[in-house]
Amino acid sequence: MRLSKISFRYRRRGPFVIEDADTELSPGDVIELTGVNGAGKSTLLRLLAGLARPTQGTITGRPEVVGFAPDRFPTGQPFTVTAYLRHMSRIRGGARWEPWAERLTMGHLLALPLGELSKGSAHKVGLVQALMAEPGLLILDEPFAGLDADTRDVLPSIAAEVAGRGGIVVASDHQGGLRGLTALRRWSLIDGHLKEGTTAPAPASPAVPTQTAGPAQTPATMTPHTSATVPTTGTPHTPTLTPATGRPHTPDPAGATCTPPTPTLTPATGAAHPAAAGSVQAPVPTPATGTTQTSAHPPAAGSMQTPAHARAVNAAQTPASATSSAEGGAAGRSLTTVAVTLPADDLPEFLARMRDEGYRTHEIEETG
Amino acid sequence: MIALATFRLAAYVRSHRVYQAALLALAMLAILHGSRAPRGEEAGVLTDTAVLIIPILAWAARSLLDTEPDQQRELSAVTTGGRGRELAAGLMAAFTTCAGFAGMGLAASLLLGVSATPEPAVLVAGIALHALAALTGTALGALTSRAILPSPALSIMSLVLGFLLMLLLSASPLYWLTVPVVVWMRAANDGELIGRFPELAAVSLAWCLLALTLYAWRRLRR
Repeated sequence: MRLSKISFRYRRRGPFVIEDADTELSPGDVIELTGVNGAGKSTLLRLLAGLARPTQGTITGRPEVVGFAPDRFPTGQPFTVTAYLRHMSRIRGGARWEPWAERLTMGHLLALPLGELSKGSAHKVGLVQALMAEPGLLILDEPFAGLDADTRDVLPSIAAEVAGRGGIVVASDHQGGLRGLTALRRWSLIDGHLKEGTTAPAPASPAVPTQTAGPAQTPATMTPHTSATVPTTGTPHTPTLTPATGRPHTPDPAGATCTPPTPTLTPATGAAHPAAAGSVQAPVPTPATGTTQTSAHPPAAGSMQTPAHARAVNAAQTPASATSSAEGGAAGRSLTTVAVTLPADDLPEFLARMRDEGYRTHEIEETG
Repeated sequence: MIALATFRLAAYVRSHRVYQAALLALAMLAILHGSRAPRGEEAGVLTDTAVLIIPILAWAARSLLDTEPDQQRELSAVTTGGRGRELAAGLMAAFTTCAGFAGMGLAASLLLGVSATPEPAVLVAGIALHALAALTGTALGALTSRAILPSPALSIMSLVLGFLLMLLLSASPLYWLTVPVVVWMRAANDGELIGRFPELAAVSLAWCLLALTLYAWRRLRR
């Protein structure tokens, strides 16, 4: 399946929601699509499903059988769960839905009217109708939202099964529920542009991650004034910047091994001490070990430390509640600009997450 | 596609929306055929019923198409393999509903309206006019359904005004600019229904197909 330079807008003179998306999906792909609210994820999924036609570009090679599970299943229908699924089964040519209902533990829901279902239960109905026909393209819009723990656990394996028999799975997901899958492709929609990164297999255990020194570009030490969440074995992880009080992170005395802290910035005090105020170098997982390093002596705020393979990001960060003094902040809190260095592939998601958390982020060109 | 049309019909019935149009049709037929027409006016009785039931058929078609939530419409499109099939299934279900109500009107005309059994040619023309009425109702209902006109107020006004416009235009010399329902009635009352039927049927069919094409175009370009 190929997306060739597709762009989409809802109205003739309206802004493009998606611009120049160009990529290819192969049988067996599992794709996680991320982006901030309103970034166009659902629009892209509708384009993939054939529910909307690209304004520009083409989508070719769509598998014949498509399964689509919406983020909000339409419960306003005069059917019980069983009656609804039977109808869907007939429309699908007699596909068997019962095994899927059993697998998603829906036995107690079958006799209920759709209108009486909770969000999570309704979501399961949407999943069953999407899965029952063994789709060649399975599209899941926020598949983990509202699901109980058992179903959340089983969903990645279902996605893997679909991919294992040559299907394509595309899931928009804020919760990272599919990140345990190997060879997960990650798409991010940022400002209408589709960007892609890849991930390595997830760690066997999501227990307390450990930082391990590796062939890094910076020493494998953690500095007192910066900190970073450290994934292991290459697990994709995007650092989280949180407004903090500037309390320094205490590194593990062992040096090479430490419990990963959450990256912290110090917006409140950053103006007074730019060098120590939130300059952070984000995790740089290496292919082999996923070791993350932080800069021992970051430069002044707003500067960049950029490995050769990474793009520089100037993240002007402001807590949602804070106001820049330059902008007449009533709270008297200052604005701090930090430079973050991270793998290029992680950039889209990092920016999206920062925006989600209320920070202002700007990507700037690397100047060397 | 038939399974999807069945699904939509089942939703229409189970939601009880079907009773709105059914009660309206029964009331109209009871008033229209409160007293039997004199002998020799069988063609007029059949034609009047076919014309006057059109707005109810349009209401029924619109109601059926609007029963399905918008997101279910998308799911149905994915499930059937494309928006074109979903659209066709919806129209099939709407036409089936309209044909059912038109059949009810035809039965009421034959059982309650006429004083004598119509001639075979008149009966065939009457059946054909009811089929055209069902198609006209389907087209008008589809064009005023939520997928085309999201505002309920605008939708209902458009349905009523659409039928009134049809009456006004077909009463004028420009009757060929719409489904010529008034000309149907005039021809029946003048004893010319059989002779003019091919012309009137062709014009009616053409406008119905044009309206349905417009509906499909509007739906598929979104």
